[in-house]
Amino acid sequence: MAAPFTLRKIGVPPNSANLTEARRRVFDFFRAACRSIPTIMDIYNLQDVVAPSQLRFAISSQIRNNAHVTDPKVIDLLLFKGMEELTDIVDHAKQRHHIIGQYVVGEGLVQNTGSKDQGKSDFLKNFYTSNYF
Amino acid sequence: MASLSATSLSFKAPSIQSTRISQVLRKPSSFQSISFGGFQSSKSLRLQISCAAKPETVQKVSDIVKEQLALSADTALTAESKFSALGADSLDTVEIVMALEEKFNISVEESDAQNITTIQEAADLIEDLVQKKPAA
Repeated sequence: MAAPFTLRKIGVPPNSANLTEARRRVFDFFRAACRSIPTIMDIYNLQDVVAPSQLRFAISSQIRNNAHVTDPKVIDLLLFKGMEELTDIVDHAKQRHHIIGQYVVGEGLVQNTGSKDQGKSDFLKNFYTSNYF
Repeated sequence: MASLSATSLSFKAPSIQSTRISQVLRKPSSFQSISFGGFQSSKSLRLQISCAAKPETVQKVSDIVKEQLALSADTALTAESKFSALGADSLDTVEIVMALEEKFNISVEESDAQNITTIQEAADLIEDLVQKKPAA
């Protein structure tokens, strides 16, 4: 049995210098999240509800949602938020229905679906910003 | 573990235990016929010349790859097919490595994971790690 994986809480590291380092951090985060999956399934009793591969897919689809970002600082911030979420889940600060609703069932909470502003028509974008266009 | 990755790049005398040296010897296809099973019993044998991982391992890896990339069941997957050729981006490759970690109960270091590009390499790495793991 491989040694059980523990999520170590490190302080905020300095910003990534370039896209390559940001990319490396994304993969490190993804690996940490995947290795925490057995712990998560144990804490929230998800054994009958979902398979680890589905959770892995949920995590990777969230990462893919933001795959178009190119600014390393934005990537760092997204990773920070992702790490915060992962830490909350592993610390049992969330509850079972949160995990099931957000990561197991379909697209999760309505507010989080899809990336922002993609596919919206120009009419709607103008409509939301002002009355006159 | 650190010394293993350090020796993987330098071509020292074969007496040093380094399974990476076998990568250089792997290129000639005539080595494919050496069965891997013969070396498994003797744990004292340091240098593993054989290059072919067990076919069951290759098959399991192929199944996981197919499931991960959502390929149809009759897509021909040879041991040499590259992940990128099958339509996997880098995140997919990492996900495949994680799926293999879970399936075979091993732990792949990041330095090892960088070098995996084909199914054969993945199967070989798995074989190495399964052997090195102390028998539970």
